[in-house]
Amino acid sequence: MAAPAGQSKFVRWIDNRLPIFAFMQHELNDYPTPRNLSYWWNFGSLAGIMLVIMIVTGIFLAMEYTAHIDYAFNSVERIRRDVNYGWLIQYLHMNGASFFFIVTYIHIFRGLYYGSYKEPRELLWMLGLVILLLMMATAFMGYVLPWGQMSFWGATVITNLFSAIPVVGQKIVTWLWGGFAVDNPTLNRFYALHYLLPFVIVGVVMLHLIALHQHGSNNPLGIDRKTPQDSIPFHPYYTIKDMFGLGAFLVVYALFVFFMPNALGDPQNYIQANPLQTPPEIVPEWYFLPFYAILRSVPNILFIPSKLAGVIALFGAIGILFFLPWLDTSRVRSARFRPIYKWVFWLLVIDVAVLGDCGAHRPEGWYIFAGRLATLYYFVHFLILLPLIGWFERPRPLPTSISATVTKRIDGALPAASAVGKS
Amino acid sequence: MRALAAVFAAVVALLALGTVVEAQDEVTPPLPRQQWSFAGPFGTYDRAALQRGFGVYQNVCENCHSLELVHFGDLGADGPGGGIGYSEEQVKAIAAASPKQYADTDDNGQPIQRPGRPTDTPLPLNYDNVKQAKALFNGAVPPDLSLIVKAREGGADYVYAFLSGFPEDKNQSGPPYYDEYFPGHRVAMPPPPLAGNDVPGIKATADQERHDVVTFLSWASEPTMEDRKRTGVKVLIFLVAMAGVLYFAKRQIWAELH
Amino acid sequence: MASTAQPTPVSTSAHDGETRRDFIQIAATALVGVGAAIVAWPLIDSMNPARDTLAAGAPIDVDVSKLQPGQQIVVLWRSRPIFIMNRTPDELKRLQEAQDMSLLSDPDSKALQQPDYAKNWHRSIKPEYLVLVGICTHLGCIPISKPDPGSVEASWPGGYFCPCHGSKYDLSGRVFAGVPAPLNLPVPPHNFISDKVIRVGENPPGSTFDLGSVEQL
Repeated sequence: MAAPAGQSKFVRWIDNRLPIFAFMQHELNDYPTPRNLSYWWNFGSLAGIMLVIMIVTGIFLAMEYTAHIDYAFNSVERIRRDVNYGWLIQYLHMNGASFFFIVTYIHIFRGLYYGSYKEPRELLWMLGLVILLLMMATAFMGYVLPWGQMSFWGATVITNLFSAIPVVGQKIVTWLWGGFAVDNPTLNRFYALHYLLPFVIVGVVMLHLIALHQHGSNNPLGIDRKTPQDSIPFHPYYTIKDMFGLGAFLVVYALFVFFMPNALGDPQNYIQANPLQTPPEIVPEWYFLPFYAILRSVPNILFIPSKLAGVIALFGAIGILFFLPWLDTSRVRSARFRPIYKWVFWLLVIDVAVLGDCGAHRPEGWYIFAGRLATLYYFVHFLILLPLIGWFERPRPLPTSISATVTKRIDGALPAASAVGKS
Repeated sequence: MRALAAVFAAVVALLALGTVVEAQDEVTPPLPRQQWSFAGPFGTYDRAALQRGFGVYQNVCENCHSLELVHFGDLGADGPGGGIGYSEEQVKAIAAASPKQYADTDDNGQPIQRPGRPTDTPLPLNYDNVKQAKALFNGAVPPDLSLIVKAREGGADYVYAFLSGFPEDKNQSGPPYYDEYFPGHRVAMPPPPLAGNDVPGIKATADQERHDVVTFLSWASEPTMEDRKRTGVKVLIFLVAMAGVLYFAKRQIWAELH
Repeated sequence: MASTAQPTPVSTSAHDGETRRDFIQIAATALVGVGAAIVAWPLIDSMNPARDTLAAGAPIDVDVSKLQPGQQIVVLWRSRPIFIMNRTPDELKRLQEAQDMSLLSDPDSKALQQPDYAKNWHRSIKPEYLVLVGICTHLGCIPISKPDPGSVEASWPGGYFCPCHGSKYDLSGRVFAGVPAPLNLPVPPHNFISDKVIRVGENPPGSTFDLGSVEQL
């Protein structure tokens, strides 16, 4: 990696000792990116920016927060009322969690639609899942910190899940709690871990980006880059496109932060935690609702009590995604050329939305049936439908190359159809 | 096809978002919507209403409810969001005139009771601590009102409806008392006695007092709301402009590609 | 571009320099820079003292009606000890004697360690009542009040003695020459709001003095 020609002596001096500028030149300026990426490809960078926003706002909140059950709730209110711009930093952090999940979920569904998890990007996909798991742990612990009713009771419900593990379950729960129930020791350790995990996420994101840069981005056609005409340098094309995407995203984010800051939250969390009073509904934040529904949907199966079965299903729902590159047997990546899979994908999206709705309601009446059906369908989608569709589907003919679809617009003539299969 | 998919995704997303709002399963009537000066993106608190509302709070609510997060000093110009329009002298007077004295120690370490200061918060008059409240009210401790508007589904509209939901017939006995809008309809709180204390220009009907006290409680729940909305307007204008400029920059850079 | 030509990716070196600095691109960069600055300010300002911290540092009223001549009380203001001493006429006389003044490093209070209304031999508003920030200007210990002559050493005229490293001050808080402490004890803003009530932390009308402006606390 040589430093770009014509650089100043200063740049050369630094690069000789620590090749930052050469690195940036290679990874940003020279890095070949498919020329046909759509706006669905903006969400990765948005997720990265949300991570930075969460860490920065979190650090400034940490300067004012007190992690003790007698002071936590009031310290957060003090931030909102007394600390200069505390209300802003707090609302940015609170809504930032929601928006971090929004962009990440869209990023994941983009990957599902366009086959970004397929060879050679299996590890990239799995690293992404690790990031998702870390995000979920971080968000769960972060929500406990304000010590509202939902903080406390959500923590109680979720930590109690581990008691479902046979033999050692209750010991594990006691170990997690550091006591006989969710109490001060629990709050303190959640604070320590909540501060730590985002930096672990940063590390995994770096691995994620290294894996990405090995083969470069996927693209809406799902076919590999072949000639230099298929690519454009990341800078300035995608840097400016990412900046614009960020601008548009910030408009939506700001709308929530400044004008509807509590729309995505639960009013119950504005009541200080009371271990002697269970709220009428215990509901996690919206981004956990589908998982919550899966957890509650599973009945007793054979000799497995429903609580344990639910926990297994919950972790299985994410665990199964690790095997996706092998469960999906199609050799075509992008759903654009997979007529059957395209509809099945949207069915999955609807299924997740239904699961979310079930998670928000008490498991009674129609919701029990819907939750169970949706949970079953989720696993059927990955374990049965995907392998079968891959084998039996007749994909549409793939274009010869990425640039061919571009030049076709100039010539007016269609490129020759390539043989079925991944190009 | 692409546009259809995008619309589809948006609809699904909205549906999913809709799951966040809990359906009120109890058979309570839908909340009547009120007019609030602080509603909407340009809403502000009516300072006169805040002061009247604080008066209602002191006369009526303070008997049983605490307001732990609002210090007397917060009501003045140095308070969050600029307070509710009282001067520093008025704030000191209000604090000192507090009916409840505050526990403190004198210079010899002996426990004494002293008048309120701006750094104190209003204390409920009928009890000194939570255990006394439990004994007094048969286990039903009156909730602190500092965040009540944010802590209830429906916000200010709900609190107003709740206060007006007690039947006119004053002869109902309790506890529990019947309230039209309280989930489950049975609440330990008796109908608050909203007497008329006319202020120049405003007739103090029960309705007016409810409206004022809910305005005050909304302020107490979020004193910085005006800062938030004012800053929000400026930020949003800036962001829309910036996004617009970035869009044109993107178009310009990409135009070179053909 | 000719329709048969392959579209080539634009080489980056064409953009590295000054070739197409268009208005839009400059505007975009400027707006993003402004945005970054706008975002930075609330974060930085959040570290400034919060509203409740400022309120806790408000002036306090001290009733000195029970303070006897020769006595000192210590109150806490902005987390610092404030000495309020009622000096006897004898002590005041001794303060003006040449013998006392010759021991001092800065007898005329030239260094900015007090407000303008305390820049006198008694370093206070009313001669009897002395108000000082009781923190030694050497390394921050709290000096002990030793008003009786001869109570520290034979030639001791009366004043404050710091036990940590032996710094000495007279009964107006002026530092002796030849001791580790470099400056006189600071005088905080204070005002008599009535005959026997001192408000520590507030200046008399017409004076603006900030304790933060002294050379060293």
